[in-house]
Parts: sequence; structure tokens; C-alpha cells
Amino acid sequence: MKFSLGRRSAAASLVVAGALVLAGCSSSVNDSADSASDCGTWAIAMHAWNGYTASAQVVAEVAKANGCTITQTTLEEAGVTYDAMEAGSIDLIIEDWGGGRWQEWVDRGAVLEAGDNGNVGLIGMYVAPWMAAEYPDILDSANLNKYADMFKTADSGGKGAWYEGPPGYTTIGEKMIAANKLNFKAIATGSEAALVDVLTKAEANKTPALAYFYTPGTLFIKIPGLEQSRIKFPANDWSDAAEASGLTDYPETQLQKLMSKKLMDSGSIFATIVMNFKWTNADQNSVAADIEGGMEPAAAAQKWIDANPDTVAGWLG
Amino acid sequence: MPHLKKSQLLIGGALVWIFLSRLFQDDHTLELSTSENTGFTTAVGDAAASIRGNRTKSAAFIYLFNPIRATINGFVEAIRTLISVPRGNAIIPLIGWFGVAAIVAFTVYATSRLRTALLATSLLLACGALGMWQFTMDTFAMTFASVLLSLLIGIPMGIWAGLSDRVLKILTPFLDLAQILPTLVYLAPLALFFLIGTASATIATMVYSIPISIRITSHAIRNLNQSPIEAAVSMGSTGKQTLSKVQLPMAKQMIVLGINQTVMAALSFVVIAALIGAPGLGKPVVDALIIRNVGQGFVAGFAVVFVAILLDRSTSAAAKAQEGFIPPTPAQIRNSRIKLGLAGIATIISIFASRTVLSLAVWPSSINISSQVENVTNSATKWITTNLYIFTVGFKDFISNWVLNPLETLLAFSPWYVTLTAIVFLALVIGGNRVAILVTVLLSLIVLSGLWHEAMITLTQTIVATLLTMTIGIALGILVGRNESAERILRPFLDAGQTLPAFVYLIPMLGLFGPTRFTAIATGIVYSIPVVVKIVGEGIRAVPASMIEAATAAGSTVRQIITKVQLPAAKKSILLATNQGMIFVLAVVVIGGFVGSGGLGYLVILGGSKPELQGKGLVAGFVILLLGVTIDRIAQASARRV
Repeated sequence: MKFSLGRRSAAASLVVAGALVLAGCSSSVNDSADSASDCGTWAIAMHAWNGYTASAQVVAEVAKANGCTITQTTLEEAGVTYDAMEAGSIDLIIEDWGGGRWQEWVDRGAVLEAGDNGNVGLIGMYVAPWMAAEYPDILDSANLNKYADMFKTADSGGKGAWYEGPPGYTTIGEKMIAANKLNFKAIATGSEAALVDVLTKAEANKTPALAYFYTPGTLFIKIPGLEQSRIKFPANDWSDAAEASGLTDYPETQLQKLMSKKLMDSGSIFATIVMNFKWTNADQNSVAADIEGGMEPAAAAQKWIDANPDTVAGWLG
Repeated sequence: MPHLKKSQLLIGGALVWIFLSRLFQDDHTLELSTSENTGFTTAVGDAAASIRGNRTKSAAFIYLFNPIRATINGFVEAIRTLISVPRGNAIIPLIGWFGVAAIVAFTVYATSRLRTALLATSLLLACGALGMWQFTMDTFAMTFASVLLSLLIGIPMGIWAGLSDRVLKILTPFLDLAQILPTLVYLAPLALFFLIGTASATIATMVYSIPISIRITSHAIRNLNQSPIEAAVSMGSTGKQTLSKVQLPMAKQMIVLGINQTVMAALSFVVIAALIGAPGLGKPVVDALIIRNVGQGFVAGFAVVFVAILLDRSTSAAAKAQEGFIPPTPAQIRNSRIKLGLAGIATIISIFASRTVLSLAVWPSSINISSQVENVTNSATKWITTNLYIFTVGFKDFISNWVLNPLETLLAFSPWYVTLTAIVFLALVIGGNRVAILVTVLLSLIVLSGLWHEAMITLTQTIVATLLTMTIGIALGILVGRNESAERILRPFLDAGQTLPAFVYLIPMLGLFGPTRFTAIATGIVYSIPVVVKIVGEGIRAVPASMIEAATAAGSTVRQIITKVQLPAAKKSILLATNQGMIFVLAVVVIGGFVGSGGLGYLVILGGSKPELQGKGLVAGFVILLLGVTIDRIAQASARRV
């Protein structure tokens, strides 16, 4: 028995080696495969929110139809993804909200700005719509303290709970609380999933909730009245979150496309599609809603592409 | 009675602590707003930025990091081309699914026996049926590459540490550290040097699995029966001869067992690795977290469990196959050779077929039960989260108000010097001078890092989760230890619980408890219970039967036997389980940063996505390590002193 394993492993190695030889030289079904066009293989970064998935999937489907091979990699936003672009493993971010946080990578030539994607983002603090109906004056930030006690939870340290946006998102909640002297505590939610959970449950159970959210997004379709339940802070006066005083509201943001230098230099049709890609919040919402409704992202994207042939034709240059 | 004195000291200390904490509440808590940097975190951030900026210029990158990255990437990609990703214009990888299944069946058959081979193959096919074939193959490729590289480093170092006391002494602190370090922590530093992708993920996996391979190999060499070795030496064998002809063959079974543990360690990394862009089953799990699709998460999670069982059973069966001492008869040898030969031919034919028949090359889309599994788990989760929400929220609020908040006030909202002194006092009473000094140094470093307050928030959650884990874990451990059929029923759940990635049930927990600290705690509990139950169960079972018989004869009731005999006798196991449980809990509590638990884990995650907070995130990772060592040292000291 002592040598038995050795012999058996030897036999196993022999078969595996044989397999490799076979794999290398025998004929295979691969030979009958169509040869792809010269678009190349490109990687799209996939970020956490549904609207992003919609945009990225539509770009991916259009590219595939034009002979590109597209891979999609789920990544946290910003630094991580810019690093991946520098490393050559990611070629496209289809929607970036951060006003210029990529500057360091652009300066190094690792990341290139590819213009607006047509979507306009607006971040804000929202209450559950039933509250806006019942206490209309709550929507004025000056009155928030009056209701702070209602928002207390076991986790908010005796103050009102202020559910803050996920890590990669533009967030100035702590500054807003401090500058406006609000009796609230910012609670890190960690993911979009948590925010959706908070607002959905609050509206369904008629419990109080104050949470970060943003347009474009499909949650506004699912929770009627949410869009009108945005707290109004003094008019915005900043664009770089790092310089915001916290006194004023979030600004409207033109969402940006970022691409890798490799993609830009390639002259590929994919670079053209990316440069020309532009659509509206309504477009994004329609695809995102289909995905939320359980449709496969690829199918939802294809549905929109089929319905909007002219827009798509425009992207192809 | 020094024992009594110790408990009196602890109670007295706790009372003074609570009094001081009340007196000075909210003073000097070192609280720091999330977006705020200290001088130190800014400096670390600047250093990280300069490393990033030098990636294309500095010699260290050009001659060291980049070549390592390219080599590892190339290695993993080569394996993926073989079994997972089509190359160039091809539509299938070099070996199709049928061929891979045949190779797995044959390899397992050749190294152990037919039954294991059948089990392995069916598990593999089940992954295919879950619609996860390609992800599974990616995980295979990643695991294979990182295990191979880990063993290449781990086994020689383990042999060295097995032969030399000095080497072992130097290595031990690092081995301990690597086992305490929560996996989330070292992704960011690695990504800084090796960028996002396969290479970083492979290296991260290796950091986790090499120590295990070193530990088991050196243990194997050290615990050999000494007489054959002495005989070899007395007959004039050189050190090299003794090693290769006597020690290594004798230690072979343990070393193969070490391979098993290394494989399992590498596999437990599969989901975390996806956070830095590694291919494999972690990807659908992370995607599921993002889009809140519990079902999809579970489908991928089940595939991870299947792969884990597959690799565990086949490697441990291979280790067992070395046990036999009865030499086979020539007829048996001939017989097994013929069978093996036939199986080999069948395998080669299968590989050939998987390259020529499309349905054997690409997993047929008609065989896919993923949507059914998804629907079932989704509706089950939905039912649980809607119907049990009231109870779970009640329980959460109860624990938060009566346990979590008071403890948090004590630890995080007292002046830092009060908390620090109290913990050092605890360490002194439990572990003596040396532990107290070490703990003082570690805690002072945390204070200096500027993240003391966040560290105490994380510590609070870890302690509460450990308390709850131990309450449930000891109860189940007693059950498992006393009752063999309970053990048989629970065993598969414990095994699965140990391999099911925590990310998979993070989403349902979010549904049950909302974005709160308790979500992280509940996830930590689920993750660490299996290991606690196993250790406690073994401890209870190890209590000598004679002790129990004596107690029964003296007329003790079952309750008396448990509380007066079995639990005291198993005290050491329980303390060991507490130590393990705490380390497991800490690893998951920091992942809770994804679902609203705040604390250090959140800062680590934040540092990954907000460039201006990268320094703070890196420091937070380091503080988690300091906290882990502190917890581990105190817990170990209490286990040692029994």
C-alpha cells in the first residue's frame, strides 16, 4: 500500500497530461466558431446602483451587437475602480457622480474623461412620503429639529436617525447636521440596499424615516410621493463635496463617463459608442424599472434598444 | 483560594469602571467625525497616494511588484483558459464541462476510492445545474493556483520550522497574527501594490492559507514517533537522508491533511476576493448583495458550499487512503491497475468528446434549476422578513437598548483613559504582567492612531455578538456532545454553515434587522456558531465516561451532570471556543460595515471608495489587527489559566 498512492497519482498525472495534449492539438468545436470582428475585448466596471446597471447594460448590448466582447466586473466605486483602470483591467465607468475625485488619475493619464452621459443626478434627504403628507412643514430643513424625536431609534444615540448614503457616494450628512445644528445622528448605511430597505419599510409600516436618496432611480416609481418628500435645504452653493460648508443642499450633477487610456487609443468602435453615449433620466429609469421587476439586465437593455433605434444609431457615429 | 480573589477583583474593578464611566461620560471619547482626518491618517493617505503615483515609475514596481503581478495573472489565466474562459475567437475553453467532470472523477478515484469520486462528480454537476458552471471553474482556477503557490512556500517552510526550533520561534508570532487578521483588512494594502484583480486576490488568499500549511507541516514533522528517526540516525543516515527517507514519508498523511486545510482556507476567501475583482463564485454573491437579490446570493452560496464539500471530502479521503497498513495481494494490485487504466481511457475519451460535441463542451442551458432555487429562497426570505419582522425588531431593540447601548456607553463614551485602564486591569487579573503590558502597548497604539472611539464601537459589537454566540453555541454544543444522533443531524448544517459565505446571509439579516449594528452582530453570530458548537461538543464528549457514571451512581440528575460535571470538565474547551468565536465574530462584524454597523469596518470600506479617506481606511485596517490581537491575547490567557 505504501507505494500505491504514488503509482495512482502518477497515473492521474499521466491522464491529466494526456488531457492537456489532447486539448492542445485535437480538433474541437471551437474551429467552427465565428471569427469576431476587430472591436476587441473591453471591461465595464459595474457599480452598486440599479440605474448604473441599466446604463452599463445598454452600452454592453450595443457594443456586443457591433462585434465587441464585453466583460462586466462588479467593483466598489471611485479609488478602487480608478486603480483598476490604471491596471488595465477596467475600461469604462458609465456613470460617475464624484465631481473631479478622479483628478489624480487623470493627471497621470490613467483615466480619461469621456463627457456627460446625459443623466442628471440629484442627491437629497427624503422622508417617508406619509410624513410629508401628515406634517407638511417637515420638508423645510428649518423645521427638522421640531420632529427630531420622532426619528429616534435604538441605534441613534438619543437623537434622530439620519440614514446616510453608502461609502462610495457623495455624502455630506455629518456636515449638514453640524452646520444646520440639527439634533440628528448620521448612521452609516453601507449600501443602497439598506437605504431602499429603510424607506420602503417606513412607508409600508407608517414609521418615521429620514434617508439619503437620489434621482435618477426606480425607487421613486415604487414609492409614490417619494420624489415630493425631499427636504429643502438652503439653495446649493458648491460643487466639490470636500469644500461644502454643509449649510446648503446637494447640487444637481451632470453624471460623467470615464474611460481607460487603452480604450481611447484603440480607435475601436467601442470607444466611439462610449464617447457618443447619451440618454435621459427617463430612459435610464425605464430600463432600471424592468430590471427591478425581475427582467434579466441584458433582456431589459435589449428591449430599450429595440424601442429606440434612432438614438442607438446616433451613438455609432 | 486565589480563584475567589480573582473573581472578587474583577467584580470590584467592573464596579469602579462603571462608576467612573458614569461620572465622566462623553468626556475625552476621542470621537472623530467620519469625514475627518487626523495628522496621522492624512500622512498615511499621502503615502498611499505617492505609492499610487509611482506605479509606473519606481524601480520597486518595475522590477518587483509588476513582474509578480504579471506572473501570477498569467498563471491563473492559463488555468482559466484550460477550463473556464474561451481563448481568442473560440466559444469554449480548451476542456469542456464533460471533460472537467471526467478529470475530477478520475483524479478523486485515483487518489481515494470510487464512492468519493461519485460524490465529488455529483457535487460538481450540481454546481452546473445551479447555472454556476463558469463561476465554479473560475473558483477552481483561483483555488488551484493559490493553493499550489501556498504549498510551494508553505511546505518547505513548514519542514524547516519542523526541524529547527529557532525558525519555529521566529515564525510563530506571524502565524498567530495571520490567523487573527480579519480578511477584509489586507485587501486595501495589497491592492495598493498589486492593483485590483486576479493577482491581488491570489496573493491575499495566500496570505491567509500559507500560515495554515506551515503550521500543519511543522506540527506533522514535530509529532512523529521518534524511534524510527533515532534508528535511522544511529545507522548513520545524514540529516538529509533521514528527512527524505524517514521523516517525510512518515509525516505524509499529516501533510496531505495540511493540503486539505490549505484548500479550505483558500476557498473561504472566494467571496472576499471578489471585492478586489477576482473571478469566481464570489462575484455573483457580491452582485446579489448589491442588487438585494437574496435568491441569487443563495444560489451562488450553495455552489460555494458544494465546491467546499467536494474539495474537503476528496482531499481528506486522499489523506485517509494513506492510512492502510495491510499490503495488498498481487492480484489486488493487478486488479486495481486494470480498473485505473480503464478509468483513464474513459477520461481521455470524455475529454476528447468535450471538445468535439457542443452539448458536452458548453453546459446545456436546459439543465438549470437556478431560477427555481432563487424563487424558493426569495419567497422564503420574503415570508420570514415580512412576518417575523415585528419579532426580530423587538429582539433587536431589546438587545440594543439593554446590552449594546450600555456596553457602548461604557467602552466608547467614557474617557479613553478610563476604558484603557479598565481593559488593562482586566488583562492583568486574567493574564498577569506580560499580557497586561502587551495590552497596554496595543491599546496605546490604538489611541495614537486616532481611531480609538471607532475601535471601541467595534469592540462593543464583537463582545455582544460573542456573548450571544456563546449562549447559543454552548447550549447546542452540550446537545451535540451528549447526544450522538443530534450530532449526526446537526453536523451537515454546521459544515455548511462554516463554508457558506457570510455575505450570503448579510442581505436577509438586513431585511430582518434593518441597517443597524445588530445586523452585523446577527451575521457574526450565524458565522461563528458552527465552530463554537464543534469545539464545545468535542470538549463535552472528551469528558471521561467514568466521571459521568460516578455522578449518575451518586444519584445526580441530568441537569446536575451537565452543570456540575460536564461543563466544568469542558471549561478549557469552552474558553478555547470563546477565543475562536471572538476572532470569527470580529472578522464578520467588520464586514457589517456594508450594512450599517459603523465602526472600523465601515472606515475600511469607506477608505476603499473615497480617495481622500484612503489613509484613514488603511489605519482602520491596522487598528482592527491591533484589536484582534488584544482580544486574542486576553482570551487565550484566560484559557491558559484554567
